[in-house]
Amino acid sequence: MDHIEHLEHTESPANMKSQIWRTFWVLLALTLVDIVLYFVLLSSHSIAKNILFVFLGIVKAFYIVSVFMHMKFERKFLVWIIIAPMIFVCFLIWLALTEAGYTFGMRLF
Amino acid sequence: MANSATLTTDSKQTWGGGKSPFSVSYGKLMMWIFLLSDAFTFSSLLVAYGFVRFTFTGSLPNTVVKPFAHLSHNFVEEMQKAGMFVTERWPSPELVFNHFPFLHGIHLPLMFVSLMTFILIFSSVTMVLAVEAGHRMAKKEVENYMILTIIGGAAFLGCQAWEWTNFITEGASLSSNPFGPTAFAALFFIVTGFHGTHVLSGVILNIVIYLNVVNGTYEKRGHYEMVEKVGLYWHFVDLVWVFVFTFFYLI
Repeated sequence: MDHIEHLEHTESPANMKSQIWRTFWVLLALTLVDIVLYFVLLSSHSIAKNILFVFLGIVKAFYIVSVFMHMKFERKFLVWIIIAPMIFVCFLIWLALTEAGYTFGMRLF
Repeated sequence: MANSATLTTDSKQTWGGGKSPFSVSYGKLMMWIFLLSDAFTFSSLLVAYGFVRFTFTGSLPNTVVKPFAHLSHNFVEEMQKAGMFVTERWPSPELVFNHFPFLHGIHLPLMFVSLMTFILIFSSVTMVLAVEAGHRMAKKEVENYMILTIIGGAAFLGCQAWEWTNFITEGASLSSNPFGPTAFAALFFIVTGFHGTHVLSGVILNIVIYLNVVNGTYEKRGHYEMVEKVGLYWHFVDLVWVFVFTFFYLI
């Protein structure tokens, strides 16, 4: 006997396929921008350069999560359950990098 | 916005039981929660990398080798003598990961890892196309896209094996690193290794799902949600790679 389940899910838009390909081109373009910037800024070791690359990484992450992982079509409640706890990661980054500055000083002397 | 209207105006209907308040199945919600916990694990590993890196002196600007230049046989020793590869100084990733298969002896920073990034992004696209075909119940299309995704994942793992072999052959391990601080090699192996383990389990899951699709399991069930759930995992692996690529290679 075949058992057909009823499934609860949020619908995808009708133009999903074109959204997927558009996202692919965006990700490809952003990666190419990464590579070009890498060679242009090869000899610089500034914090601004690091922030720029992290920013581009976050933009890519946004596209992957929203379209590929279907997040932008889910209910807001689910979106916040997943995104809001990331504030702790931000805190950890701030904490670790601040402490690293002190450890760096102790390593020197 | 019909969904959110229901959520605010008729909360009794949304939270009254008998259906998912998030409009997703139990399995998918749990996959999201798992991915959140996995995101924390990877975040802590990458933050550890950031911490350790910031406790070392930054790398020297490279005035020695230009891209596409020929590398000498004793490149690592030369760099050690020039003070670029010393244990007190974090090495520039540009000088460490500069090989490309079949182009031995040429300084090609970032090229190989960019190729790996493209492979992973493309396999993510084929995965999401498999999910889209699943919504239309197009069995044959799901099969084809799953095969492409599996090939992409396997290709990525092959590239990573090549990268590791190179790094190990040059003398790097969890407890030694001719390029600089030992922690650099240890963190590289742990973080890319943990990511690679995720890719490997993703490929295995994809194969299992592919076989189920071929056997018509989801056709009988009436939906291809299993492809979606594994798809979420696969995109997460791609997502993590974006940050591994940024922190280990770009910066």
